[in-house]
Amino acid sequence: MKKVALLLGAWVALSNCNAVTRGSRLSDVPVSGRQFFLSTGPAPQKAKTIGFLQIRGYGVELAGVTDLGDAQLDGTIKKTMVSEASKMGGNGVVNIEFLDENPSTDYEKAQNAAQSINNVLSGGGVTQKDRYVTVTGEVIQFLE
Amino acid sequence: MRNLLILAAAVVATSGCTVVNRVTLNATPGTSEIFVTAGDIKEDHDVLGVVQAYKSGVLLFGNIDILGTDLEAGFKDLLIPYVKEMGGDGVTRVRFHMTQYTPWSRVLGAIFFIAPLPSSVTITGQVVKLKNRPAAAAAPVMAPVAAAAAAK
Repeated sequence: MKKVALLLGAWVALSNCNAVTRGSRLSDVPVSGRQFFLSTGPAPQKAKTIGFLQIRGYGVELAGVTDLGDAQLDGTIKKTMVSEASKMGGNGVVNIEFLDENPSTDYEKAQNAAQSINNVLSGGGVTQKDRYVTVTGEVIQFLE
Repeated sequence: MRNLLILAAAVVATSGCTVVNRVTLNATPGTSEIFVTAGDIKEDHDVLGVVQAYKSGVLLFGNIDILGTDLEAGFKDLLIPYVKEMGGDGVTRVRFHMTQYTPWSRVLGAIFFIAPLPSSVTITGQVVKLKNRPAAAAAPVMAPVAAAAAAK
């Protein structure tokens, strides 16, 4: 137990208070006719706006280590957003904005991991933290 | 109470982990409808001003939005009528946000219905008027990426 505490202490000391949420790249420009276009910027060619979308994915972070549910940028943008925009008749979403509402810093993750170990050793459960990701976008239909 | 909890658990278990809200706008070319875009337009235009549309309300029983605080109401009942009132042809650089509750929160809202869930929608944008807009004007198209335009 002492070693685990020391290890976690070292981890906390070496970690910082930043939290970075990553997602993979969106679409390339130019886009082919069959490809669904996703971008945080404007449309690459003439298009008309057919609507707007707001999606909130939520999930749970367990023990500061693993995420369950849909609170990830990639899943929310590339699956849910594409699916909903397609249902609206769109073939692209532009001007995408996103926000990971409550990312955990390395310090918080270490704290939750330590707390979980402590809880499990004393017969309890691991810590849980609700996680939310909100994404908005403009659904477009290419004119050409 | 026990049945209610079982029902609540069933609702949560069968629902996904994502909440989606959308609004469909019919700004098709050849009509005189107000256009809305989150980007810029390439047509010449005058900026009439900036606008923020906000509406708040509550969700009764965690689900019933009696005042209309979703994207549909925010865009169609609030923003677009106001733009018409200002004499604008459309709105550019739109940003929006509405309150979204998870299915679990909605179930809790239904159980503790005495305290309705607060809800709101906020939309901001820049109201513009097109210069030289022809009769039965077409809705403007978004400005393409400069690099893509240059490549053509």
